[in-house]
Amino acid sequence: MTTKTIYDFYKLLENDNISFSYRGGFTNNVLTTATQLFKENIGEEHSKLKNKLSFLMIESFQNISRYSEQEGNDILEDTSEFFMTRNVGDTFYIISANLIDNDKIPTVKEKLERVNTLDKSELNKLYREVLTNKQISEKGGAGLGFIEMVRKTKGKLPFDFVKVDEKQSMFFMQIELKNPKVDDGLEPLPLSDAKFVQEIVADENILMMHKGDFSKEAVGPMLRMVEENMQNVSLKVHKKIFHFLVEILQNISKHAYPINEKREGIFQIGFDDNKFHIGTGNFIAKDEVANLKNQIEMVNSKTKEELNELYRKYLREGKSTKTGSAGLGLIDLARETTDKINFEFIEINNNYSFFSLTVNF
Amino acid sequence: MSDLYIIEKTEYTPEIILDKEEGVYTIKGRVITENAQEFFEPVINWFLKYFKKPNRETKLILDIDYINSSCSIEIMKIINIFENNLNKNNVLKIIWFYKSDDEKSKEQGAEFKLSTSVNFELIKVESTNNLEEFNFD
Repeated sequence: MTTKTIYDFYKLLENDNISFSYRGGFTNNVLTTATQLFKENIGEEHSKLKNKLSFLMIESFQNISRYSEQEGNDILEDTSEFFMTRNVGDTFYIISANLIDNDKIPTVKEKLERVNTLDKSELNKLYREVLTNKQISEKGGAGLGFIEMVRKTKGKLPFDFVKVDEKQSMFFMQIELKNPKVDDGLEPLPLSDAKFVQEIVADENILMMHKGDFSKEAVGPMLRMVEENMQNVSLKVHKKIFHFLVEILQNISKHAYPINEKREGIFQIGFDDNKFHIGTGNFIAKDEVANLKNQIEMVNSKTKEELNELYRKYLREGKSTKTGSAGLGLIDLARETTDKINFEFIEINNNYSFFSLTVNF
Repeated sequence: MSDLYIIEKTEYTPEIILDKEEGVYTIKGRVITENAQEFFEPVINWFLKYFKKPNRETKLILDIDYINSSCSIEIMKIINIFENNLNKNNVLKIIWFYKSDDEKSKEQGAEFKLSTSVNFELIKVESTNNLEEFNFD
């Protein structure tokens, strides 16, 4: 069972302008989602970094598949791998984690230590050497990926190995891409921050999590991801996830309280006890809390039959969600969830509160 | 407004073909736009104008994969336009297609059927896309 609230997760990622994390089998679809999400949603001041960022995400991904022992291709099949991209201040972070055989650690470690100590001209020299000498190791390249990452970011690659058992360890690596045009004066986030996030999402069985500005285009990439990465669940479950996603994400983009012109929200999908959980959190204006609370309590108090009746009534009347009574979307959520709609309001200040909602099915 | 209204499908909106001359009235695809009212306004206006001088027979095809709640309301508005034009002189029919394994779509169609007195038919089609390969529980 989950012990962390949506608000806990929000606090964990509070400084992230945008972040996306994913736990599970890795496919190109995840990569596509992550790159699309960032391409469509990062701030204007970072727009010049888009291509570089996509390139680095691809490198990071290929690195996972190069050193990983897993060959899962579905989110539920294999949840040992972890991928996260986030933007905090003027820096973008790409974090990967995957299982690696303990006997391969010295080789990987040596490659990483080497690229982390070389200066620019030494790196270029090494790059050409590796290319021309074609010294290809049995698992793809003599660290060419690492060399590229360092060359593109002009930074180091923090890494760590955390022993899982006698055979395997978790291999963490972080790519840091700083926007040279903006300087927030902050120290980069340590790798331990990302390790902490990985630990929590693993403990709480979160499969994917996204925090960002939901007034922008987030629904599309999320839907594509669900469509393409959850093909092993039944069509019924698949459509439910899809349905919840659309209703909940569009609800955030419409009703979230704008702070600094952003409609910030967090969204996650988890799988636990043979049930899916979809949770969201966002800010809402304080004077809307009482009404929304009443609406949710109202739909929670109804039986499925009553909800069906109510649904038809509202459908006929063409009620939109802006009126005083519960919207069609909320009724529909209540009809589809196995339990009641879980919700929480946390007062932040005199203007707005944090509203979180979770459905299980 | 002409007798013809065609828009191509996008990731969020369906393909719509409204062709009075050919007698084709189709909404096909994914209907999940956030701007439901805005998107359906020209469609609703088209039907309002059309029913001032409709063809003898009007068969609306709804072949919808996914629909969000705000778009459901807009579709219901179109169904209501049909309902308001029920009379002896024209034949009105709405057909809702759903894939054989798509319970949600079937239920959605049934909701519309229950909410109108227009001749509304649910038609099951076999899944033709790769969804067939899934392991169903």
